[in-house]
Amino acid sequence: MVVSILFVLFTVMAVTCALATVCHRNPVHCALFLVGVLLSMSGMFIILNAPFIAAIQVLVYAGAIMVLFLFVLMMLNVRGETPLLTPGATKGFGILFGIVALAELIWIVLAPGIEEWRPGPAPNLPADFGSPAAIGRILYTTWLYPFEITSILLLIAVIGAVVLSRRKFE
Amino acid sequence: MNPAETLPAAAALAVPLSAFQLVAAVLFTIGVVGVLVRRSALIIFMSIELMLNAVNLSFVAFARQHAQMDGHVFVFFVMAVAAAEVAVGLAILVAIFKSRTTASVDEVHLLKG
Repeated sequence: MVVSILFVLFTVMAVTCALATVCHRNPVHCALFLVGVLLSMSGMFIILNAPFIAAIQVLVYAGAIMVLFLFVLMMLNVRGETPLLTPGATKGFGILFGIVALAELIWIVLAPGIEEWRPGPAPNLPADFGSPAAIGRILYTTWLYPFEITSILLLIAVIGAVVLSRRKFE
Repeated sequence: MNPAETLPAAAALAVPLSAFQLVAAVLFTIGVVGVLVRRSALIIFMSIELMLNAVNLSFVAFARQHAQMDGHVFVFFVMAVAAAEVAVGLAILVAIFKSRTTASVDEVHLLKG
């Protein structure tokens, strides 16, 4: 019961903040609304027995990535767009595409015949489900090579960011 | 893992999995529309973050439903890729802004034929 109420609360918060992110004129307000989305996502992860993911969601996303966004916003002093949306046919296409994509996704979720998506019998969760120790165990065994490749990716991103921001443009 | 070490039955998911998937679908669609209709490159980046988060929610919900933690590991990778993408993307944006003094994608069309 409590979980259902929390789920509805986080859903309303996430969808409202997401709409505000996309619709608001001031980029700084958009970034702050996006933080709202990220925090409600973190609450969803808690509901779903993923405390470690919820923690790094707050630390990495709401902490590091959004601070980077706000740094760039403050540094560039980006004004609100006028007009807000892309002109002409692109806007209509975008909204139409969004409606069609949403209808498709809802149909996929609610379509008959996909039994494993139904509530079904509750799976027996291991006692350490979602704990840092359990995630670390499979991260460093089953997923070791992807993990190492991720570190190379981050190194490339660091070098790329430094090179791009130091280069002189005429 | 020892089957005896399981959470009590009260820990069963009170909300059906499809509800989480529907929330993820709505958030993903909002992100797609944001990318398509907004002009500021910064807002487009934020919409991409929105889409990545919707997919993360889907991953974690499936991981919970199947009691498999591989979904959590994948969310971890998605976050790492998102961090790399934001770092490089914002560096490109700063470079564009230095030479063009605009962040609007409609005014950066040098590659357009």
